[in-house]
Amino acid sequence: MTTSEIFADATESKGEAVIEVDGVDKYFGDFQALEDINMRVGLQEVVVVIGPSGSGKSTLIRCINRLEKHDRGRIAVHGIELSDDVRNIQEIRRETGMVFQQFNLFPHLTVLENITLAPREVRRMPKKEAEDLAMEQLTRVKIPEQARKYPGQLSGGQQQRVAIARALAMRPKVMLFDEPTSALDPEMIKEVLDVMVELAEAGMTMIVVTHEMGFARAVADRVVFMSDGQIVEVGTPQHFFTDPREERTKLFLSQIL
Amino acid sequence: MTSVESRPPPTLDRRNALAWAAHRLFPNVRSGILTVILIPLLGYLAYRVFLFVAVNGRWEVVERNLTLFMQGTFPRDEQWRIVAQIVLLALAAGIGAGTASASAHDRAIEAGLPFTRSGSLDLIRRFWSVIGFVLILLYFASTTTPWLVAAGTVASFVVGLAARFLPTSWRNVGWALMALALVAGFQVVSGTSGRAWIISAVLVALGLLSVVSFEGLAKGWARLGGRTAVALGASAVVFLIYSNVVDPGVGWDAWSGLHLTLWVSALAIVLSFPLGLMLALARRSSLPALRGLATGYIELIRGVPLITLLFMGQFILVFMLPTGSNLSDISRAIAAMTLFTAAYVAEIVRGGLQSLPTGQTEAGQALGLAPPTTMRKIILPQALRAVIPAMVGQFISLFKDSTLLLIIAINEFLGVRSLVHAQADFRAVAHAETLVFAAFGYWAFSYAMSKESQRLEHRLRVGER
Repeated sequence: MTTSEIFADATESKGEAVIEVDGVDKYFGDFQALEDINMRVGLQEVVVVIGPSGSGKSTLIRCINRLEKHDRGRIAVHGIELSDDVRNIQEIRRETGMVFQQFNLFPHLTVLENITLAPREVRRMPKKEAEDLAMEQLTRVKIPEQARKYPGQLSGGQQQRVAIARALAMRPKVMLFDEPTSALDPEMIKEVLDVMVELAEAGMTMIVVTHEMGFARAVADRVVFMSDGQIVEVGTPQHFFTDPREERTKLFLSQIL
Repeated sequence: MTSVESRPPPTLDRRNALAWAAHRLFPNVRSGILTVILIPLLGYLAYRVFLFVAVNGRWEVVERNLTLFMQGTFPRDEQWRIVAQIVLLALAAGIGAGTASASAHDRAIEAGLPFTRSGSLDLIRRFWSVIGFVLILLYFASTTTPWLVAAGTVASFVVGLAARFLPTSWRNVGWALMALALVAGFQVVSGTSGRAWIISAVLVALGLLSVVSFEGLAKGWARLGGRTAVALGASAVVFLIYSNVVDPGVGWDAWSGLHLTLWVSALAIVLSFPLGLMLALARRSSLPALRGLATGYIELIRGVPLITLLFMGQFILVFMLPTGSNLSDISRAIAAMTLFTAAYVAEIVRGGLQSLPTGQTEAGQALGLAPPTTMRKIILPQALRAVIPAMVGQFISLFKDSTLLLIIAINEFLGVRSLVHAQADFRAVAHAETLVFAAFGYWAFSYAMSKESQRLEHRLRVGER
C-alpha cells in the first residue's frame, strides 16, 4: 500500500475515531443536501473538506454539532451518539468548538465577555478563573491587548481570532471550521490561517471547510472532496493535488488552481 | 468605528452675523424667497403666542386651581401623604442615580477606561422640560408650601445620591434600598391595610432575590433554594409588619389629577413590559398551543380600540371575576391599559428578535449554552436594545392615552378641567388657558421620556454594528 492510498477511504482514520458519521442523509424540503455520508475523523487528525458551493460541506459539519438535524444515519462524537435528547446534544456541543464564516461574535459584549460567557454559564466557572482562561486563549491567538474592546472595534481578522479563542475556551475535543476565512479581506486571511496551523500542530482534532488550498496542502492529514451532497474522493493532500482519480475532482481542481 | 468627532469644525466666524445670515438664510434665490416669506410668518406666530401667554391669557383659572390640577379631589387633610410620597420617590431616584453612577464607575475602572461623572448641569439638561413645568407650577403657587416641597425633593434626592459611597460589594444593597424607598413612597399614600402587603412582599422578595446571590454555594439548586428561602422569609416579615401597622391610607379611588395620571401611566408601563415580553417569546415558541394563544391574544387586542377595552373593564369585567372581588375602577383601568399596551410591546419585541441574524443563536448553541441562557444573555439584550425607540414611543402614547380615563369618569390630569369649569367663578371662562396648561404638562413629561430614550439609545450604542 502506498502512502497516497493509506487514507483513501473516508471511513478509516488515523488512530481512535473521534467523529463517526455513518450513512447520513439530509434533506432541505425535497432537496437532498447530504447523501449517504460515511466518514471517520481520528484523534488529532486534521480533515479539510473542499468542494464547490452547494455541495453540502457546511451542512455536513453543521450536522455534527446539530445546528442541522440529519434525517437518516448515525453521528457520534467522542462515542456520544447524537439523538433528539437535549442533554445529549448539549454534551456534544460542549465537546465541539465551532468557528463560523461570519464570526458570529456577540456585538453587545466585550471580547473578554464573549469568551468568558460559555465557561461561566455552562461550566459554572468563577469569573476570575474564566477571565484568566480567556486571557490565555487570547494570548494564544495573539491579541490579548484587545480584551476590553467590543467586536465592532476590531478588524475582521481579529474578530475571527476572537471567535477561535471563544471556541477554545470551552476546551473542546474537536474544532469545526466553517469557511473561516471566506468573509475576510485578503490581507487578513494569513493571520487567521496561522492561528489554525498552530492549533493543528498542537494536536487539535479539526474539520475545516475551506477554499484555502494552501492550507489544505500544508496542514491536512486528509482532504475530502464533496460534490452534490456526496463524498466523491478522499486522500492525502499529496495524492489529492497531484493525482486525483475522479473526473469531478479533476474538473473542480482545474477550476480553482 | 467612525465617529462624529471627525466632522470639520464650522468655518464661519460666529461673530459676523451678517455673513452668517447671508450664508445660512440667503444661500441662493429660492432659499432667499423662502426666508423672506417664513421669517415674518414665524415672527407673527411668535407674537400671537406671546400675546396669549403674557397679555391676554387669564391664568387665574390655573393659579387658583393648582392644587386641583395636581392632586384632584384627593382629601385635603391627607395631603401630607402626597408630600411624603414625593420626598420618598426623590430619595429613591437619588439612591438609584447614585448607585448607577457608582457601578458605571466600577465598570469603567475595570475596563481601564476614563470615567466622568455626570454633574447636576447634565441632570438639568436631561430633564429640563419637567423642571420647566415645575418652575411654572412654583410661579403659580400662592403659598410657600410648594416651594418647601420642591426644596425637600431636591434635598432628599441629594441625600439619596450618597449611595454612591457604598462599597462595591454593597452595590446591590443600593438597588434594594431604592426599591424599599419606592415601595414606601407608594404605601405612604395607599396605606398598609387590606392586601397591600402582598404587593410589597412580592417587591421585597424580588429585590432580595436579585440582591442575595449566594455566590458561595456551588450547586445551582442550592443557590436557588437559599434565595427562595430568603424571599419567603422576607415575605413573612413584611406580612408581620403590615399586620401590626394598620394604616388605612387613601385608596386610589380617591386619587386624581396629575398625581393619578403619573401613577396610572407608570404602573401600566411597568406591568405591560414583562407581559409583552412573555407574549413575544410565546409567539415564537415551538409549542403550537402557546404560539396560537399568544398570536390570538395579540391580534385580538390590536384589533380593538383602547376605549372599548376601558369600557369593557368597567362594565364587563365585573361578570367575569369571581363574586365578591371588588376591583376598584382605577385598578380595572390600569388592567385594561396594561393588557392593551402589552400586545403592542409584544409586537415591538418580536420585531427586535427577528432583526437579529440567526448566526447569534447558532453561536450560542454551538458553545453549548442552553436555549434559555442564549435567550437571556445573547438574544434579548440585543433585541431589546434595538427596539428602545419604538418601545418608548409606545409608552409615551400610553401616557397620553391615560387621558381616556376621563371618559370612564375618572378625573385624571385632563379630566380635572371639567371640575374647574364647573366652578361658579370659571364657568363662563374660555377653556383655552386650562387646555394649554394641561397640554404643556403632558408635553413636559413626554419630552423627558423621549430625551431619556435617546440618551439610553446613545449609551447602549444602538446605532453601532
